Amino acid sequence: MSTAREQIFSSVRAALAPLPERTARPVFSKDVAEPHWLAAEADSLALFQKRAEATGTKCFTDMESCAAWLRSQGVRTVYIPAPLTRLAALCSEFSEVTSEYTRARVNEIDAAFTPAAGAIAESGSIILSDESTPDRLAALAPWHHIALVSRAEIHRTIADALAAMPDDPNLIWVTGPSKTADVEGILIQGVHGPGAQACLIL
Amino acid sequence: MAEQKVELFARRLDRGVQQAVHSNSAAGTEKRYTVLGTDYSAPDDLRRLAGQIRQHAIEHLDTYLEQAEQSLKRQGAHVHYAVTAEDACRAVSDILQKAGAKKVVKSKSMISEEIHLNDHLGSVGIESVETDLGEYIIQIDGDHPSHIVKPIIHKNRRDIAKSFEREGLGDYNDDPETITRRARVFMRDKYLQADAGITGANFVSAETGRLVLVTNEGNSRFCLAAPKIHIALVGIEKVIPSDAELAVLLNLLGRSATGQQLTVYTEFINGPARTDRPSGPQEMHVIFVDNERSQILASDCREILRCIRCGACLNVCPVYRQASGHAYRSVYPGPVGAVLSPLLAGKNFKQLADLPKASSLCGACNEVCPVDIPIPDLLLKLRNRGHEEHAPSPGTPPMGAFAKLASSPMLWRFAMKSNKVMNLVPLEKLPLPYLQPWLKTRTLPEWRGGEFRSWMKDRRKK
Ligand code: SF4
Repeated sequence: MSTAREQIFSSVRAALAPLPERTARPVFSKDVAEPHWLAAEADSLALFQKRAEATGTKCFTDMESCAAWLRSQGVRTVYIPAPLTRLAALCSEFSEVTSEYTRARVNEIDAAFTPAAGAIAESGSIILSDESTPDRLAALAPWHHIALVSRAEIHRTIADALAAMPDDPNLIWVTGPSKTADVEGILIQGVHGPGAQACLIL
Repeated sequence: MAEQKVELFARRLDRGVQQAVHSNSAAGTEKRYTVLGTDYSAPDDLRRLAGQIRQHAIEHLDTYLEQAEQSLKRQGAHVHYAVTAEDACRAVSDILQKAGAKKVVKSKSMISEEIHLNDHLGSVGIESVETDLGEYIIQIDGDHPSHIVKPIIHKNRRDIAKSFEREGLGDYNDDPETITRRARVFMRDKYLQADAGITGANFVSAETGRLVLVTNEGNSRFCLAAPKIHIALVGIEKVIPSDAELAVLLNLLGRSATGQQLTVYTEFINGPARTDRPSGPQEMHVIFVDNERSQILASDCREILRCIRCGACLNVCPVYRQASGHAYRSVYPGPVGAVLSPLLAGKNFKQLADLPKASSLCGACNEVCPVDIPIPDLLLKLRNRGHEEHAPSPGTPPMGAFAKLASSPMLWRFAMKSNKVMNLVPLEKLPLPYLQPWLKTRTLPEWRGGEFRSWMKDRRKK
């Protein structure tokens, strides 16, 4: 009995066998898909900030202004995982700061800080991995998510980021808040994921 | 009446729906054009490169599919194969039943529509909830998507508000923001209760086994954050050589689909959770689905397998804009659907053989396609195939008499002169059914046949 696998492979081989020649793998330079304005952007950090803001990600460079923004948004409950406790000290004014994230509390946490695995200047994207953000839900379920991006880990281009992907079960590039335009093409933020996406550059 | 089905559908379509489809599609085309023009000086070169990348991939599918399988297994995923749509559905329910799973959440995937997965899961007692906002509305309405990227392009906020009210998601409220918030709250519980998450895949890198998924809403991420089992349904043609090609493909996909440089969430999945990274699903299954794709690969229309499902050809198509997606009577509408749907129908090709005719062959679809698929050429090949297989051909007048006339100079000359009598014939009264739909909106100009010949004759004399 031939398995589904064998059947599929034999039909694929049979389909390709009569081709007189097959299209060669195109050779292209790594920067082929870079937007032409990229060359004029010397400073990756400045470019990242510009692109992130353009796609709806707020950028902060110090914890004080980030905390002030969260307060102005009415945030009460904040999740800050253990490795970042030094930041928690700056959050004394919130009604609760916790380093525990459990499923039972998914809808109670207003804002979550998680470390990013890097960022991409060209697109203003934040990179999260399972190693950097140990709980996927924590970076996704709260209305506010603040990724901690280290300056040294900002990739200049999408191609650079692709070439440097770490071995991790899950990497996600986050380019702005969760959004939809399903209803009459009207843009609404915060469908399933964060309605307010931010990053704190350290 | 003998009339093209797509045309008939378009004529009967509600004007409000047609307006919505038209303006939303036009806006999509505009955004795509602006962003590509702002970012690239030669976007067409990039499209051609992407086309070569995809053509190379499908012409080496034997190699890359095998390599992808090995890479996926190396990362700890289970790999399955399904020849037909039914096999694919059964593969999903087998995995779920073995694990005792009763509830699943699904992120948008065209291939799951293609194989009618939700109906199958329902029939074996598994609850399956679509989590993409548009797809969820389609699901509760028992409707079908009418666009690849914007599934409810044909619905307005009042329709949606009524559906939400009916489903017990609150009192009637047609504010889009309220609708979205209600869906957010409703889905939360579904994600947290689900035993498994089902997704598609935009690309699979053969070299690394990375599965790439893009969404704007973040629903696919949720499907992989809460449940313990991940099942990915992947058409065999989705495989690409390596991660490096993604720089070209991702840059074109977001811009072509929604005018974004990148879709909000671009996710790279590389196997199930690990002991030191326990957050995601513990089990990962990838089901490679053929469902006629290997037959398309064997045909002279294999270029359609390059498609990355961006929807740009729908947005730009004058026929799609008038007729909307349901006119195509299949999962894939618009120009891509006019090629793909009859081919995916396999033995039932004839039933959809009219779709390739629902085109003016203006070529706009080819011009916007991020992987440069020569859609008009493929439409012509399929028209030919329909003709050879004697598919029913409504709306096409018999051309035999004309062919005879046009191949005899004497008859032709005679016809040119004598046809002046046509000016006196009331065309709309002629008993020629294939002419009637055409004449409803058009008239013929006055007959002036034969004048070129007399002009030529005079000229020669001089
Ligand atoms: S055929 Fe081309 S333009 Fe149409 S959906 Fe596919 S990739 Fe996009």
